[in-house]
Amino acid sequence: MKVVNLLALVDREKCRGCKTCERVCPVLAIKVVDRKAVVDAEKCRGCAACEQRCPYYAISMVKREEPVVVSVEVSAVDYTKVEELCRRAKLHPEQIICYCTATRAEEVAAAILQGASSPEDISLRTGVRTGCKVECIQPILRLLEVAGIKPEPPKGGWQWYGRTPTVWEIPDEVKKKYARRGFYFDEDIKLLDRVATAPLQERSDS
Amino acid sequence: MRPPIPPISPRKSQYGIDPSLVKKRVSELPGMTSVLLKELFPDLPEVIYPSERGIAAVRRATEEALKKVDMSMIKPEHSVNILASHHGFTLLGGEPYAEMLKTLKDVIQARTGCKNIRLRAGVGLRFRETEEYIKRYGLDKHFEGKAIGVAPIDEGIPIKTEIGTLYGIKKIYDADWIVHAHNSDVREVHFHRQVDRAVKPFGMSYARIETRSTYHQNLGPRAANFTARAIFDSPFVQSKFAFASFLTVTPNGIVGVDADNDLYALNDRITILGCRYYGKMMMLFGEIDECIAALDFPCPVVYVFSAGVIYANFAGANTDLYDLDMPLPAYTWYTEAFYGKNGKPLLGEIPSLNPAIKMCVHNYAWTGYPSAFFSEHIPTVVVGYEQAELFNRDPQNLNYMKHAVVAETTEAAMEFAYRVTGTRKVLIFDGAIGGINVSEPLAEFLLKKAPEVNERVESELLPKWLRQRGVDLLELKKCTA
Repeated sequence: MKVVNLLALVDREKCRGCKTCERVCPVLAIKVVDRKAVVDAEKCRGCAACEQRCPYYAISMVKREEPVVVSVEVSAVDYTKVEELCRRAKLHPEQIICYCTATRAEEVAAAILQGASSPEDISLRTGVRTGCKVECIQPILRLLEVAGIKPEPPKGGWQWYGRTPTVWEIPDEVKKKYARRGFYFDEDIKLLDRVATAPLQERSDS
Repeated sequence: MRPPIPPISPRKSQYGIDPSLVKKRVSELPGMTSVLLKELFPDLPEVIYPSERGIAAVRRATEEALKKVDMSMIKPEHSVNILASHHGFTLLGGEPYAEMLKTLKDVIQARTGCKNIRLRAGVGLRFRETEEYIKRYGLDKHFEGKAIGVAPIDEGIPIKTEIGTLYGIKKIYDADWIVHAHNSDVREVHFHRQVDRAVKPFGMSYARIETRSTYHQNLGPRAANFTARAIFDSPFVQSKFAFASFLTVTPNGIVGVDADNDLYALNDRITILGCRYYGKMMMLFGEIDECIAALDFPCPVVYVFSAGVIYANFAGANTDLYDLDMPLPAYTWYTEAFYGKNGKPLLGEIPSLNPAIKMCVHNYAWTGYPSAFFSEHIPTVVVGYEQAELFNRDPQNLNYMKHAVVAETTEAAMEFAYRVTGTRKVLIFDGAIGGINVSEPLAEFLLKKAPEVNERVESELLPKWLRQRGVDLLELKKCTA
């Protein structure tokens, strides 16, 4: 869940149509049309990725007159399925996966169960990945994968490239090779497994 | 009691309030004093900066350290990327790190004849931060226009590693050779746990979002650092790596420059420095029974520091961050993730945030790092409506002010904190150099506790910490000698 209180605003005088903004927007809300960037105000989640990367400083973030709340109602879907999806991705349903918006795994799982089929779609619906834009791409990809969805990165974009390894996939020879250098692979597997299987504190459908 | 040490000045930045709005520093308030770190731990090394030799000491130390480095692989027709990270610019005002970077360029050019030397400066979560530093320290001019900031959402490049494909920032690797220019200051011990500290930027400030998310979400709190090692050891990165140059830092200042073609040898040396000297400071801060933490430094909330210890680490100082047998510090992103909907940890073994922090007075600190977890769990007073509004406009901190209150002045905030907490112990995170600014009761407390902490770290904890990291104790003895 995110309260979107900012909106990207393009200075058309400064914009040179380089498309950097288009390549970094996590919800595909900005596009270059006739060599100028155009913002879709409905889709913009106020993350400032475009403003922070524009090489010509042509974008500023302005306060929205009316903040927009984006969230997915977890109770609208069968919570058993939400829980199953999260646990199969080795995430606890109540685990926070976006530190900026405090979005929990269950909300992302619910978005997927309601039809979201790409990281962009999930970000649009939940606001996840629109804070720091950095840390939460992997759990999103893991949840999509266990739902049987293989999204393609946006063509020509730099939004994301692919799912990366998890600790459960580290080869044994690697674990053995570095066992004495302070990497606690097996111990962390046990810890993460304990978290993923811990009881719920609060069911969203109760 | 000594007078307080002048704190690091506020900086103009898009991530903080205008310096003119910082009307009062916490160290200027009545009852504040300072303690020199050498008074606490007399075995701390002598520093080269700050000293009467000024910034020239850093240039000389860099030149001296580079004499033992092999640069023969760099030919005049080649290109070289000197890789830097934002954090170096927060150390002692930033000039020492900037000077090391300038010296690196000058020495490489003089020794190899190579002129195509660029600066690529990575960031944390404030994507324009190093752009600001490049201008402030004249690095754009020194690198003849070839100095840029890079961010984790910039175009990426896949890197095949022994655990699978990870992703780096393309512009980091777009040269024939890379030179890793970093520092040994420990900073995020809650994340890296002093494991492969020297290698970390390869999985962080030089890396794309996919890799950074691997570190913080996929591997676990003590396996995470392998992300950086996997990238650094990859044939791709090894084919470009020339050498590394580090500012060596202890809590009391810059103690030298260390350079090496072997990054892991350098890593072992800085592991000893980090565990021994920062370890003592952290263990000493862990002894504090109650206090008000005052944030007063041009950095995001978690990174403001006192004697090299950042606020995020003080928030976990009730546990031993260096002990790898302890899985989760009281604060790390894994820990934060494992708090359920009723506001309590999902596992009983997850430690609470340092209960000694009775209140946080946020006099001056930046946005640009998700910090709501702190205001949610530690009573926080933010000074000034402008600062509160800045946090309300930061996409990473939209929930920070939901849990904090605002005071109009520093004086009012501190009065409130004294009255509500009942403690007069104040620890100020203002980057004071060579010492710490604290209230008088806390100064007395720390001076009394330090000898016992010193003894415990030397005889008991340091050998254990190094053993856990596979660092040779003989190296430690050589270091001691």
